[in-house]
Amino acid sequence: MSSTTNRSAARRAYGRYAVRRLAQAVAVVLLAYVFTFLVISVLPGDPVSNVLRDPQNNFSEQEIARIVAYYGLDQPIWVQLVEALSRFVVGDLGVSLRSNLPVSGLLADVLPSTLRLAGAALAVALVLAFAIAFGVRNLPAPLARPLRAFPSLFLSVPNFLIGLVLIQWFSFQLGLFLVIDAESLLATFFAAVALGIPVSAQIAEVLIANLDHEARQEYAAVARSRGLGRARLFTAHLLKPSSLPVVTVVALTVGELLGGSLITETIFGRNGVGNLVQRSVATQDLPVLQAVVALAAVVFVVVNLVADLVYPLLDPRVRLDASPARTKEVSA
Amino acid sequence: MAPHDRLTTLLDEPAATALPDVPPVLAVEGLTISYGGTQVVHGVDLAIGRGQSLALIGESGSGKSTIARALLRLLPEGGRADGRAVFEGVDVLALPERRFRPLRGRSIGFVPQDPGASLNPVRTIGAQGLEAAALLDLGSKAERREAVLETLAQVGLDDPRRVAASYPHELSGGMLQRVLIGLAVLPRPALLVADEPTSALDVTIQKRILDLLSDLQADLGNSLLLITHDLAIAAERADALVVLKDGTVHESGATTAVFAAPSSAYARRLHADVPSLNPERYADLRAVGERRHRDADATPARIEVAGLTKTFGRGDDALVAVDDVSFSVPAGTTHALVGESGSGKTTTIRLLVGLETPDGGSVEVAGAPVHQHSRAELREARRHLQLVYQNPFTSLDPLWKVERLVREPLDRYGVGTRAERRDRVREAVASVGLSEELLTRRPAALSGGQRQRVAIARALVLHPDVLVLDEPTSALDVSVQADIVQLLLRLQAERGLTYLFVSHDLALVRQLAHTVSVMRHGKVVESGPVADVFAAPQHDYTRTLLASVPRGAER
Ligand SMILES: Nc1ncnc2c1ncn2[C@@H]1O[C@H](COP(=O)(O)OP(=O)(O)O)[C@@H](O)[C@H]1O
Ligand SMILES: [Mg+2]
Repeated sequence: MSSTTNRSAARRAYGRYAVRRLAQAVAVVLLAYVFTFLVISVLPGDPVSNVLRDPQNNFSEQEIARIVAYYGLDQPIWVQLVEALSRFVVGDLGVSLRSNLPVSGLLADVLPSTLRLAGAALAVALVLAFAIAFGVRNLPAPLARPLRAFPSLFLSVPNFLIGLVLIQWFSFQLGLFLVIDAESLLATFFAAVALGIPVSAQIAEVLIANLDHEARQEYAAVARSRGLGRARLFTAHLLKPSSLPVVTVVALTVGELLGGSLITETIFGRNGVGNLVQRSVATQDLPVLQAVVALAAVVFVVVNLVADLVYPLLDPRVRLDASPARTKEVSA
Repeated sequence: MAPHDRLTTLLDEPAATALPDVPPVLAVEGLTISYGGTQVVHGVDLAIGRGQSLALIGESGSGKSTIARALLRLLPEGGRADGRAVFEGVDVLALPERRFRPLRGRSIGFVPQDPGASLNPVRTIGAQGLEAAALLDLGSKAERREAVLETLAQVGLDDPRRVAASYPHELSGGMLQRVLIGLAVLPRPALLVADEPTSALDVTIQKRILDLLSDLQADLGNSLLLITHDLAIAAERADALVVLKDGTVHESGATTAVFAAPSSAYARRLHADVPSLNPERYADLRAVGERRHRDADATPARIEVAGLTKTFGRGDDALVAVDDVSFSVPAGTTHALVGESGSGKTTTIRLLVGLETPDGGSVEVAGAPVHQHSRAELREARRHLQLVYQNPFTSLDPLWKVERLVREPLDRYGVGTRAERRDRVREAVASVGLSEELLTRRPAALSGGQRQRVAIARALVLHPDVLVLDEPTSALDVSVQADIVQLLLRLQAERGLTYLFVSHDLALVRQLAHTVSVMRHGKVVESGPVADVFAAPQHDYTRTLLASVPRGAER
């Protein structure tokens, strides 16, 4: 068995795997959309007509007729669903009931701010988690032992509290950033710290548990028998196998980052998706809410898809093709 | 030669393991090791002369690995070593870690016990080899890389570049063990500590690995601490022996002296239990089956296998696992199936018990074909044909008590009343020499030997005619193995059971079996009565297998 046929077989297996995962991801997003559509449709009291008939809104009869026609509100529910789905797949997220503007435009205005926050928070979480894990394994015991308690400490403090404390210290007392200039670099950084700390705790916990596990493996002792010291053992041997499962954990924390960013945005006065959601909930602007849910599903699914597609490339032990590795003893 | 006849105590002075005139590289005195509060090694003394080899022998759990780890100061958390271990004039146990670390790898090399778990699974062999090469103080990375390739070639790996680019899971156990030996000798240590370097490997590969260690020792002039549970290997390979039991040295001295006349009761027992040193140990019990074999023409064969063929996979990937295999086993005798792992033994027995369907050929047990049956008939046929698995540590449900484990086949076949079943269980347990107290225990509370007895009792409880024994002792220590072999022979003599015995250990086959088929790449390359095949092997492969059996005395 030559290694080239082996490799191309592995590549084909990966291709099949990628296609299958991609199809799954698309299915999950569509199902999530259908699900939210149905939940909203069965809400009691017909919120859409409430909004339309609200005298404060001043909709003219023509406008009401146009909106009813656009959403097919006079049609049976499954026709509405099919129409909503066919708009969704071409990227049409509908029109806000409040402002009469396309929902995609409204989202595009606020999304960059949220993505900046969530991205920065993830970076903070990763740096913090790896720093803690490094400290736990490499610092002398009197320092390392208390450091082990940090993740559970972080987890037990809600992020809005961290946010409020940060604002109190760094903005009000030290004047490092202005709460009114919420999108500034420093303000974003502190918001990301507030959001990232609890997430870092989850990553750090997994990482430390994996490092402890790997350090107990036979190969770690054998590597030390080749004269490796603590730090080299950590960087050359333990870090990679311990970090691989973290890819999956990071993907799972994305939900937390998104949910958390809505709260953090409010505390730090940022104009992000959270703000839009808040306004839309208050005014029962259902097309906007549904679009946000769909967006969250897409982000979550895409991140997990990327994690699943990347993992087999990082871990040489993962074999996607079913045929067992056959190796031969080479004679002396 | 009957060593137990000579009971003279040769060793009045303790621990003279370094031969006279050879200054010791390592001298261990009063080494005591504990895990948590539990002491597992109690005041061990040993010494290794420069350029010499010392074998540390003992059953599993006797503390061999613990001693190896202590010498390298790699005891796991909670482990603590006291006493002295003077290596080249320095007590390494007293050194601070900072001063000891430069000795690891450079002066004391280590070859671990389990090749499959001893290399980082997500790094290439080459990357890990560079760590060993770094100890050589070579200038450039290119030189270090060259040194790694050289050492891989030196340990007999054919394509060093490909091996260096491989991940551990892409290589076989034998290749990994070569890699590990290569990495250990690369920095030219004065002392090599090898912890059961061949226990996880097939016999033929075992011989090559041991030869490799001996050759390297001759080339490089290093001293070798060879840890093993096999007295025959130790006697064949080492200048001096230390026999360890329960963390205490029971005997030590020059190999020739200890081997010819072991002075301690334990060493004598160990010697008697090694199959290759005592081929005729069970001659009396075996003779019963031998007579049945001689009368075989009169009685029909209990197992008849003809032209059995099985292919796995299709096209380029197709693998003929069993290729036109035929043999027949007279009732009340033992037929051995011998070969390296991958030679088709396991597939053959899976076909025999109806777990796989053959592509061609037939199997008859007690005159009834195994494969043309309906499901119900197959079930009935299998009642007379029981299987005992290789590993008693994984083959028994850990949650069940012994009573239920042994009773389960009776329940499955709905045999007898509740009271009758209870009696059958007691009878089966008694017949394998287990006391009734054990009935309420779970496997975790049993030793390996006890577990394998439970597995045999479970097979016997249905009163089968045929037992298929898949390497039933390969996971056990020699002494435990000897007990199980004796039990199997006694049961055969008493009950006329027919055995199909699968093994890669030819010495064991010699003690136990009446006829043998040697398998290679799915084919039977040679078969016949054990005495004939062993005395005059016709096929090269049989000769290789026979030559791989360590014989101890031939030094
Ligand atoms: N990490 C450990 N913690 C506690 N006990 C251990 C540990 N490793 C080994 N032991 C115990 O020490 C004894 C000696 O074990 P070991 O040195 O592995 O024996 P051997 O290598 O001869 O099979 C056994 O009783 C075993 O259970
Ligand atoms: Mg051991």
